[in-house]
Amino acid sequence: MAEFHALIIGGGGTGGALAHDLALRGLRVTLVERGEVTSGTTGRHHGLLHSGARYAVKDHESAIECIEENTILRKIAPGTFEENDGLFVAVTEEDVEYGNLLIEGCAECDIPTERLTPEQAWALEPNLSPNLIMAVRVPDATMDAMRMPLRFFATAIKNGAVIKTYTEVLDVIKEGGTVRGVRVRDHTSGKEYEIGADIVINAAGPWCGRIADMVGVEVPIRPSPGVMLAVRGRLCNMVINRMTPAGDGDIIVPQRGLSVIGTSSWVVDDPDDLGLPEDHIQTMYSEGAMMVPLVRKAEFRAAWAAARPLIGPRRADADTGRELSRTFKCFDHADEGVEGFVTITGGKATTLRGMAEAAADVVVQKLGLDAPCRTREVELLPFEAYYAIPG
Amino acid sequence: MADARLKSEVGERRPVDRNPIRAWFDVRRDRLGMWAFALNRLTGLGLTLYLFIHLGVLFLLSRGPEAWDNFLQLAKSPFYLLLDVVLIFGLLFHGLNGIRVGLVGMGVAVRNHRSLFWVLIGIGAVLFAVAVYLVFTI
Amino acid sequence: MTTTDVVTKEITFRVYRYKQGDASPHYDTFKVPCDEWTTVLVALQAIRRDNDPSLTLRHSCHHASCGTCAMIINGREELACVVTVLDLGTDVVTVEPLHNIPLISDLVVDMVPFYEVLNQADRPYVRRSEFMPEAKPPGGIDFYTRYENCIECGACVSACPIKGTSEEYYGPAALAAAWRVIEEPRGRDPKAALDWVDTPDGCWRCHVAYECTEACPSGVEPAEKIMALRRALTRQKLGRLFGRRD
Repeated sequence: MAEFHALIIGGGGTGGALAHDLALRGLRVTLVERGEVTSGTTGRHHGLLHSGARYAVKDHESAIECIEENTILRKIAPGTFEENDGLFVAVTEEDVEYGNLLIEGCAECDIPTERLTPEQAWALEPNLSPNLIMAVRVPDATMDAMRMPLRFFATAIKNGAVIKTYTEVLDVIKEGGTVRGVRVRDHTSGKEYEIGADIVINAAGPWCGRIADMVGVEVPIRPSPGVMLAVRGRLCNMVINRMTPAGDGDIIVPQRGLSVIGTSSWVVDDPDDLGLPEDHIQTMYSEGAMMVPLVRKAEFRAAWAAARPLIGPRRADADTGRELSRTFKCFDHADEGVEGFVTITGGKATTLRGMAEAAADVVVQKLGLDAPCRTREVELLPFEAYYAIPG
Repeated sequence: MADARLKSEVGERRPVDRNPIRAWFDVRRDRLGMWAFALNRLTGLGLTLYLFIHLGVLFLLSRGPEAWDNFLQLAKSPFYLLLDVVLIFGLLFHGLNGIRVGLVGMGVAVRNHRSLFWVLIGIGAVLFAVAVYLVFTI
Repeated sequence: MTTTDVVTKEITFRVYRYKQGDASPHYDTFKVPCDEWTTVLVALQAIRRDNDPSLTLRHSCHHASCGTCAMIINGREELACVVTVLDLGTDVVTVEPLHNIPLISDLVVDMVPFYEVLNQADRPYVRRSEFMPEAKPPGGIDFYTRYENCIECGACVSACPIKGTSEEYYGPAALAAAWRVIEEPRGRDPKAALDWVDTPDGCWRCHVAYECTEACPSGVEPAEKIMALRRALTRQKLGRLFGRRD
């Protein structure tokens, strides 16, 4: 009998939420992450707690996922969000037309909206463009991209999960057609060792493909980076979205005393080598300034790239990556003849709990256990508990 | 509970290197607050050392008038007068900056502590000039 | 992805290395091509990718919000994600872990003791937003909120000369947090916070170096907050001396 029921590869939001879910179901679970938790893609996003409105016109599945998880997260992780809602803003007539579709789509997905005149919007957010024609209020919120998932890790640890950071998977151990565990190196000491588990779950985000290669299975993701820009000054308290179909620089998210403008999109092969195209940074300035003109003059703080794991054909010709689906998917590789190995990938920061539930359901089913998901109800420990339990 | 987690995840931590020389005298950002602190520490250590020296000197009194007279000869030498100047600098800096630390530490001039420093040091400079004059002329 | 004519310079990185079980640390040297956008963090990631995957470092948000990448760069506490390599102006960049915090390996420090003290301040994570005070929040929201400035990076603790020789001193981060509870209680007990700092190892142990405020990348101003605590306590004690009840 293996040391652990489940071993999760990847310490991002998905891995953390999955460790929490499985620990709550009573499994012995461990997680290995080659760096600091959330040091892959999870920590780098702008911090949007999605209302789903961005997908309400063309991708109802995503939109509904988002609003459901949005509601659940506010309940299980209280005191962790800046709950200021968000605005979609129209600065051209084209935007306004899209706005009507947006409101319709949100209604169909049960996302509450409120149509606002420019005067009403300026009262809420004085820094909005003078070209504002109309706005729509949506239940967006802001999260700290690292500290929110940290709550899942903290709770998982308290419930017995073993989280091993700076522990990199060198190889996946297979016996015949069954995955039995992994061989890892602990980078804090250089020691190599093996960990056995009944099921290994590949939650490595844009690095999923690399892990899948070790096992000899195919995972249809393409690392799709985007540039983000942070400027000094909290130019808005609410999340500000451009009232268009998803495009470059279509969102401004406040982060403490900074404003983060995102994002763009291209595709790479190596998730460790994303690059940082300078013209994309300039796009953030110009597109951001369309919504909040002060962005243009604000002092630069940081520009960086983060790779989304977008699901689609591995050998797709798509250059920008936006056409790929935004939903998450769980792949049971038994379908390819490999037992004991599952991949959970895709998704958004907002849907981490939902992704974990889907993956955990597959895991317990494969183990032949009857253990329902409890993560919708259980309140998470505060993020500080990851380091030291308060009180 | 936290310790139990860490031992499962990583091994032993390397304990903190608590070196007072590095901690007290590393004026890495070249800012007044740290310079004043470092100089306060230095003068404080210097004055403490001086205290012991001074007690030692006074002990000479118990050795009788000859030992004391020998000492007084030494005390008039230019090198010794120079040491007196250093001592006076230490006293003035430590005392006046000490006033600043005391005031700021009670919540006074917290955001103007640099101005306060220069005012006090200005006074100190005047007193120092007078003292140096007296040391070499009396 | 477009490539314009970017100025690339090869910079030498001297990186502090320590693995558990080592008798003592040493420095490894790496050469990294850097352009005008390359941050120290990006350079360290390149070292991991191209030279030495065993280099351990903490990072997450890449925009001065998570606090995990705080380290000593050319002798000063900085967040590696917002330090542009070429702006440092040196051909050799030295990278070391924070001072005064136990080391796990290489650039990774153990933040558990930091949080053990910070948690005692019991400061909530969310506060009122003071930005755009003329703005009114939407219906159903009483006031705009935002996160506290402190990103728990540890730079202040590393820079503090007193933390350099004292383990028991609460340190600037925890003391600043205690002042935030007094400034904006949010349901916590400000009297308890004031009480908690009123010990020889609390706010009174500060010696006014102001290095914490200088090192803080996030505008917390711990030195000013420690003095605010001391002002409040001084008033309280003088008040009691003259018979005034708190």
